[in-house]
Amino acid sequence: MTETDLLVIGGGITGQSAALFAAQAGARVTIVDAQRNAGSHANAGSLHVQMQSRFLRLNPHLADNLESSLPLYLSAVTAWEALDTRLGGVELTREGGLMLAEDEAQLDFLRQKAERETRKGLDVEILDRDELFSLAPWLGEAIAGAELCRNEGKLNPLVANRKMRGALGSLGVEHVHDRITRIEEGSPPTAEGEGATYSAGAILVAAAWGAEALAKPLGLTIGTPPEPLHMNITEAGDYRIRHLVQHAERPITLKQFRSGQVVIGGGWDANLASAESRAPTIRRQSLLGNVALASRIAPGIAGLRVLRTWAGYNTPVDGKATIGPVRNGSRVFLALPGDAGYTLGPITGQAAAALSLGTDPPIDPAPYSPARWRS
Amino acid sequence: MTLRFTFDGHEISCDAGASIAAALTAAGHRAFRETDRQARRGIFCGMGVCQDCLVTIDGRPNQRACMTEAREGLTVQTQVARPPLSPPQPRTLTPRRLTPDVLVVGGGAGGLSAAIEAKKAGADVVLLDERKVPGGQYYKQDADPKRPPLDAQQTEGGALVAAARQAGVQILPQTEVWGAFDGPEIMATGPEEVYAIAPEKLIVATGAYERPAMIPGWTLPGVMTVGAAQTLWRSYRTLPGKRVALFGNGPLVAQVALELAEGGADVVTLAEAAPPAWHRLPAALDMSRRDPALSRKGLNMLAKLRRRGIRPVHHALPDRIRQTDAGLEVTYTAAGRSGTVVADAVCLNYGFQPQNEILRLLGTDMTFDSRFDHLRVTRTGTCETTTPGVYAVGDCCGLGGAPAAMVEGRIAGRAAVGAAPVPADTAELARHRAFQTALWRVYAATLPHPESAAPETHICRCEEVTKADLDAALAEDPTDIGALKRATRVGMGRCQGRYCGPAVAGIMARRSGRPLEDLSFFAPRVPVKPVDIAAITAAEALLEGEGD
Ligand SMILES: Cc1cc2nc3c(=O)[nH]c(=O)nc-3n(C[C@H](O)[C@H](O)[C@H](O)COP(=O)(O)OP(=O)(O)OC[C@H]3O[C@@H](n4cnc5c(N)ncnc54)[C@H](O)[C@@H]3O)c2cc1C
Ligand code: FES
Repeated sequence: MTETDLLVIGGGITGQSAALFAAQAGARVTIVDAQRNAGSHANAGSLHVQMQSRFLRLNPHLADNLESSLPLYLSAVTAWEALDTRLGGVELTREGGLMLAEDEAQLDFLRQKAERETRKGLDVEILDRDELFSLAPWLGEAIAGAELCRNEGKLNPLVANRKMRGALGSLGVEHVHDRITRIEEGSPPTAEGEGATYSAGAILVAAAWGAEALAKPLGLTIGTPPEPLHMNITEAGDYRIRHLVQHAERPITLKQFRSGQVVIGGGWDANLASAESRAPTIRRQSLLGNVALASRIAPGIAGLRVLRTWAGYNTPVDGKATIGPVRNGSRVFLALPGDAGYTLGPITGQAAAALSLGTDPPIDPAPYSPARWRS
Repeated sequence: MTLRFTFDGHEISCDAGASIAAALTAAGHRAFRETDRQARRGIFCGMGVCQDCLVTIDGRPNQRACMTEAREGLTVQTQVARPPLSPPQPRTLTPRRLTPDVLVVGGGAGGLSAAIEAKKAGADVVLLDERKVPGGQYYKQDADPKRPPLDAQQTEGGALVAAARQAGVQILPQTEVWGAFDGPEIMATGPEEVYAIAPEKLIVATGAYERPAMIPGWTLPGVMTVGAAQTLWRSYRTLPGKRVALFGNGPLVAQVALELAEGGADVVTLAEAAPPAWHRLPAALDMSRRDPALSRKGLNMLAKLRRRGIRPVHHALPDRIRQTDAGLEVTYTAAGRSGTVVADAVCLNYGFQPQNEILRLLGTDMTFDSRFDHLRVTRTGTCETTTPGVYAVGDCCGLGGAPAAMVEGRIAGRAAVGAAPVPADTAELARHRAFQTALWRVYAATLPHPESAAPETHICRCEEVTKADLDAALAEDPTDIGALKRATRVGMGRCQGRYCGPAVAGIMARRSGRPLEDLSFFAPRVPVKPVDIAAITAAEALLEGEGD
């Protein structure tokens, strides 16, 4: 039986951030990960803050959840900035995000959204066509205006993940390749894996789409179905697209890495993998639809060719983070960022790790308590 | 007919039909693009795979000079690493949906033979090939149809192409496949069209590309594959340079040395990794027994080389290549002694890698063949793969040579349309395969693993990942090839891991002591070649009216 102070289940950005926080506080930490389709390895490095039109469109009933999480998004970006410094640079920039509108109705939607967001402390502004084109001359003719959210930004997840692994390694955090099948809330709590059984002072579940199965026997009914999402990347071009770009009505995120490559995504679907050990596969409709849409809103990219596509699992849950012990006094903790999990991963992981160590979390975790999942 | 265009403002003139790469080479230009780290690159593969010959043509960036025909009045420019984000001239492509009985991908010996047989049996057959003139790597046709064929090989190829046309095969030239989806459905771009092709039966005949030597300097302009030099000569009557040094393993290297010498090149070195054939008499005798005519052809070739004063050095491997004022300087080791040679062009070939990306996208089963260090497609006796309705023939299934590819094509072409097999074909195929086995016993050589490459060696040409970068990432013990890719960017570039993928898969397999298998390579994904956004936009129209 492996023993450790904190056992983190899931080695994505949330689990890694929890491990980093705990190890820096002096805890012995082990990360156990099945190495399967981590969203952290598939995501595109958008730092989201403003409410994503896609989420509102797909989940109108969860709009309040998302709106009430906006303060967490603000803290999340601050956490990423600290991490950028801690890790020695992950190509993080905070030049803002644009949500584009093509007509008056879409602009109206953005105006109302901006009002709600301003009330929650976001730095947003509606730009008319001229203001917008002076910021983003590579946009297409059809664009009529946009909402600019100055809190947003982007980073390079390849760099971030690599440096994160290096930082964990030098703090002595242990990585184990195993799939956990069951957690027992005893004292100490234990986790049963396919390869071994693990015992720890506390267990922190950061298993994204894998959390549902682990939480169920603990009395929590959380829906964490994986959402397979599609991404595209182009050849490098001159670095001109500084903002994170979205659309008020159509599913798209578009941004340019410092390398000059343009990353296009925004919620087009992929096929669920045929087996747990395999990766989700690409849908023709998503490749064609997503890229064609991108080149309509940003015709400047039309000279670059599409190099690669990939897909990974997103875990939107209920649009709100889940942070805290599975019940009062339990030594098993949950850390699920919900939608925009790469943005929210560090703050979610840090907060859950702090709770597991009995120290003050960087945010008030009360609104994100797992209690809402107890049936 | 002569035509003119400009390259970085200099006027270039060439014969009609020349590729931009051939025209620039003839005019003495070797470097076509600049990398992100300001290194210069030029032709390497000569067949549209490596993506190192990119140029900007009339304002449209990242066009392959080796695959693009020169036209009067073009403005061609050195490709910068990060072109401006200004929209190029719109390109109008007509979306087309085709549903032939049989689609053949690849117009080499295997694909042409398959298409002819299927068509003769009454099927409606479409054949596509990314080149302007079909023929493939073996039958390489002249881009200028008015020039007389170079030799019997080119004449035979011409006859095969003519036979396919005569039979009524619909040939789509300059059409490149970039997507394959379950169905199967193939997405491809032609000069003026984008296609979605859903055939009843698919025959994949995409051939192979060449395995390089990963040594310091293998990315320098003027260093290219043996096949690239051969294409320059056979298709465009252009020499890769005046002084040519060839380093490789296998009969192609000597053949191309002779062709270039006959074309007027000064072959300064012909270096073969294997010992001379007479050191392996039993295998050599076995080979000549299996195919006396082909073996005689080989002996003849060596005699002709000798008459020109070209003596192959054996047991020879290149160590590094440097650009000096005098030319490209190759340091090599032959039978334990080291030597140097200076040339204008250095040609490399250490075997072949099957172009099996389409098959891998379709989930076809493969096994690893350690003798040739590559994946072999699992097939029935009639060349059907484990993916229903999908056949595969020729070198894309694993090295087999052109004569075997021809017969496999005939067998698959008939089987795909339900025609009865011809027993003579089966017997002939067995003979060709036995010949290949004997041939490669004669040429067997121990080639260095990439693990032993010098630290500054580029393992990934596209992303400029060196052996030292790879070692640093390997020290962190990546769990699989995907983790290594994310850590170093190896395999993330334009060639999509075609060169570094097999090298890195081998490294990972030997480290873990696990056998190489399909899953240890980079997961194949669309697009299998970088695809123009204009093609995607045009193809989107094909989705309209389609249920999701
Ligand atoms: C294509 C795509 C693009 C995205 N783009 C963005 C973006 O731009 N910005 C943004 O903020 N968010 C984005 N997201 C969402 C974001 O990537 C994820 O929400 C985030 O990475 C979640 O991190 P995580 O650590 O919670 O989970 P993951 O990174 O998914 O990690 C979970 C880990 O848990 C392991 N695991 C699961 N079950 C078990 C078990 N039983 N035993 C052991 N291990 C287990 C898995 O193998 C995996 O490694 C995107 C997602 C996708 C798929
Ligand atoms: S030389 Fe043109 S793609 Fe390789």
